Amino acid sequence: MIEKMRDKMTPRIGRRSFLKMAAVGAGVGAAASLPLGRSLRAATAAEVKEPFPGSKRVKTICSICSAGCGMIAEVQNGVWVRQDVAQDHPISEGSHCCKGIDQIDLIKSKQRLKFPMKKENGQWKRIGWDQAVDEISGKMLALRKENGPDMAMFLGSAKFNLQQAYYFRKFAAMWGTNNIDHVARI
Amino acid sequence: MTNHFGDVVGHSKVIFIIGANSAAANPIGMKHFLQAKDRNNAQLIVVDPVFTKTAAKADHFLRIRTGTDVALVYGLMHVIFKNGWEDKEFIKTRVYGMDEIKAEAMKWTPELTADVTGIPAEQIVQIATILAKTKPATVVWALGITQHSTGTSNTRILPILQLVLGNMGKNGGGCNIIRGHDNVQGSTDMCCLADSLSGYYGLAEGSWKYFAKSWGVDYEWLKGRFAAPEWMQAKGFSLAKWWQGVLQEETTYSSSPVRALWVQGNGITSMSQQVKIQEALDKLDLVVLVDPFVNEAAVLTNRKDDMYLLPAATQFETEGSVTATNRTSQWRSKVVDPLYESKTDHDIMFLFAERFGFYDEYTRAMKMAVKDRELQPVKEEFVWPDDACREIARTIKTIGLGGWTPERLRKHQENWHMFDPLTLEGKGPMKGEYYGLPWPSWDENHPGSPVLYDVNTPVTAGGMGFRNRFGLEHDGVSQLADPSVSVKDSKIAGGYPEITKDNIEQVLGITLTAAEKEKMGANWKVDLSGIINEKCLAAGVAPYGNARARVKVWQFPDPIPKHREPIHSSRPDLVERFPSYDDQKNNFRVDVKFVSEQKAQEWVKDFPTMLVSMRVVNLSGAGMLERTSKYLSHLTPEMFANIHPDLALQYGLRDGDMMWLHAPQGTKIRVKAQYSLTVTPDRIALPYNFAGVMQGVDLSDNYPEGTKPYTIGESSNTITNYGFDIITQIPEYNAGLCRIEKA
Amino acid sequence: MSNGQARMKFYCDTTRCIECFACSVACSEAHELPVGISRRKVVTMHEGIPGKEYSISIACMHCTDAPCEQVCPVDCFYIREDGIVLHDKNKCIGCGYCLYACPFGAPQFPRDGAFGTKGAMDKCTMCAGGPEETNSARERHLYGHNRIAEGKVPICAAVCATNALLVGDAEEVSTIYRKRVSSRGKGA
Repeated sequence: MIEKMRDKMTPRIGRRSFLKMAAVGAGVGAAASLPLGRSLRAATAAEVKEPFPGSKRVKTICSICSAGCGMIAEVQNGVWVRQDVAQDHPISEGSHCCKGIDQIDLIKSKQRLKFPMKKENGQWKRIGWDQAVDEISGKMLALRKENGPDMAMFLGSAKFNLQQAYYFRKFAAMWGTNNIDHVARI
Repeated sequence: MTNHFGDVVGHSKVIFIIGANSAAANPIGMKHFLQAKDRNNAQLIVVDPVFTKTAAKADHFLRIRTGTDVALVYGLMHVIFKNGWEDKEFIKTRVYGMDEIKAEAMKWTPELTADVTGIPAEQIVQIATILAKTKPATVVWALGITQHSTGTSNTRILPILQLVLGNMGKNGGGCNIIRGHDNVQGSTDMCCLADSLSGYYGLAEGSWKYFAKSWGVDYEWLKGRFAAPEWMQAKGFSLAKWWQGVLQEETTYSSSPVRALWVQGNGITSMSQQVKIQEALDKLDLVVLVDPFVNEAAVLTNRKDDMYLLPAATQFETEGSVTATNRTSQWRSKVVDPLYESKTDHDIMFLFAERFGFYDEYTRAMKMAVKDRELQPVKEEFVWPDDACREIARTIKTIGLGGWTPERLRKHQENWHMFDPLTLEGKGPMKGEYYGLPWPSWDENHPGSPVLYDVNTPVTAGGMGFRNRFGLEHDGVSQLADPSVSVKDSKIAGGYPEITKDNIEQVLGITLTAAEKEKMGANWKVDLSGIINEKCLAAGVAPYGNARARVKVWQFPDPIPKHREPIHSSRPDLVERFPSYDDQKNNFRVDVKFVSEQKAQEWVKDFPTMLVSMRVVNLSGAGMLERTSKYLSHLTPEMFANIHPDLALQYGLRDGDMMWLHAPQGTKIRVKAQYSLTVTPDRIALPYNFAGVMQGVDLSDNYPEGTKPYTIGESSNTITNYGFDIITQIPEYNAGLCRIEKA
Repeated sequence: MSNGQARMKFYCDTTRCIECFACSVACSEAHELPVGISRRKVVTMHEGIPGKEYSISIACMHCTDAPCEQVCPVDCFYIREDGIVLHDKNKCIGCGYCLYACPFGAPQFPRDGAFGTKGAMDKCTMCAGGPEETNSARERHLYGHNRIAEGKVPICAAVCATNALLVGDAEEVSTIYRKRVSSRGKGA
């Protein structure tokens, strides 16, 4: 409602007017309610059919940049099947850049690292989590014993969520070093 | 960001963008600037060494010589002061130290500024006039300002400009710094940093004691975890120069060399000095890389053993909050379970905390809460991320995260349609709150603060003065705001100090009970009881005080910002007059060269072309993420450099020819010359988001099978020149030199 | 506002377009297009020249008097009541006449094999699918998503980072643009 009023006063948003014309609310399968006599014909029974039956729309936030655009992820049987725009999000109002709208591809990318690996004699080798954790912690503790905790450098992420970031800082502290950093030096 | 994007749309009449290419780096931010143009007829002023896509939309484009931002702003202030256009009342009542700024500005005539910056004198006068006559103006910047050997001075001079103009604490004004990654604001607030504990508490003993208490652990135990107590309070190695901790070519100061590198979600191939990073990676005893994709550090190094890749889940496979550039916190819901064998970042930390023997201490605080004004254990099991979220809310007082409970953040997300995009104000059930509770949100009832330092709004509705952070007086001058500056509806007229246990009764005019006194922390920053916060808000008082903004930082090498030529300057004639800093001993445990490097030789003779880094819209950070998307990688199928045809033809380069770019430190990269008029013939511009090729050598074989992205290329950071900021040690990415050679 | 004769149109406001490729990538991603098929392209003119540079997003403009339809030898095109120009890939013989006729370079042809054998033409459907059963797997495979049937805006315009790309009833689009220009006080 607020948005529509703002629209009347300020010619900012094309698609919202389009929505008004189509008389469709975001996300609702409202094709059946298209007013007749307009350019769009009434939906057929087939059209009302959901493209992804039983899918749920999860509200989430883009993980690319700091603008904080809203996102809608359509999830069917635990699989992210489609990415949609969040037109009612107060910062992005549906917009994304090319990176943002491609989040679904990035996450489902074929090149994801799928399992723990180690390099041995110059060759990459698939290992299990147990082995990875055993070996890494063994080596870390051995080095710590030799040189003390400042032998480690922890580099964290600007893509952690807030809780993970806090816990990464705590992790380094409890390891016993201030050798911790991430990409924001200013 | 002191304000927010909607505020720019709603109010800004001038948008002064310097060192930011929002159209490429932050298109949704750019939308708001364009909306302000359409709605308010706002004038867009863009200052950049390159004619960017942002510049293409500007009303005024100022093509600056790299590394001369301080000079430009002094030049603008010169015109403003000379004409008496400064906001005298604002300066008199809310600022400390402006006389020295004015004295420095008076040296920067339009002619001198033009000579140093390369921007015509008449344009400097024109822009200064626009800024002085058109209010409010907002100032926007990003990494083009920070990533310099003078980065700290750059980031100080711009807020000073806004103080001169009286644009701080106003709708449509402020400093709207656009952060990079999605949670770079939050990760910084949580201080994944070598020089501070979470919440910018620093590393002083008192801070450690406060955190030990907040974490529910014994301080002595925590101290015992460190090599020695002195190392607990000493800054660690930084991301910029950690590799010297391994290589130790420059003098280092640490209890141990760096022998193990643990990287969790950090694209270190986007850091400067790639060759040094490669050498360090080769030499380390252990490399652990945790990432949803292969961290290309694993590809950069030729080491044969003791390197592990652990698959992390993406942020869509976990849940938690993320802080946007405007300090708004947004709840990010989980979309799907972790894919393949990946684990969430926190689960990985928990796994290793257990092996390292501190899991109980690590997770204890999540099972605690403040009850009867005291932090105490309340349950046996914790719930992630909710209990971590609560722990942060009750611990981080400095920036006022008290209101960020998981319940409130979830409610904001569920009801995001109830907030106005221009004001962030909630409607209906969300009335009285601002979207995402932009910090400070002092307590569970506080609505958040959409515009910082706004004294015309009550503290309980998001208003405040400047923070009292640097004592009550300096050189005999009070640091508190003038008696005429009262925060709206505050019980206390005029300025007041930050609130402590010792001064609370006197400042607020209240009497505490004995029980309150007993449970109260020493000051507002470390008061887990919450009493100080509560009493302050009841009196309409910001716990951090109502003080003056200081433009003079007496502890810094440059108490007021000074123009200093880039270390590798294209103008050796200016180096004598504006030399870099003296070389630095022990910053982040390592020495840093400044003037010795600058004067080692006349660099521009051998390296005549300015080297500028730039953003492309389809890649971010180290670029690995986007380069695994066929659609995004298709837009920039290979690494390139934008080069003016006139410059290219001096070297016999046709459009699309390959060329070598050589850097002063003896490194080189082989890239494609792409003709472009966005750069002038004195400079070339390179994207920094490629990796996988090193000094002409294709490293494809180093990728584990099936993980190589669609595109790889030389990293521009291989030739980024040596240079680091004197305070923060951020690398100098943006003002360097290179030599071109046809490949 | 609409009189029932409305036709669906795209318009790209070049004072807003910043060449961010959101429209183009969104289109490719939503319809799962092969790389190299660009239903929607972003083009920048006079790049690097202050005062002259502009960017624009281009796809099928769903012409009122669509030249592609007129030259098609197998009559595979059809125009919906609302003006959206669609085609039947089962009829298309991949001759490429439509590409010659189109002023916007909209028709795309998959290139397979050493000599770039052309398959059936592909182009922007304004997210309205094709002549198969709506929202069927077959429609999605041949033409991509049918967002119009779901009552949604075409993805390119829905996602546009700066609201440069407008879509909808031609009258509405022109009203929005006119208002923008008048509040801006300059340019058209």
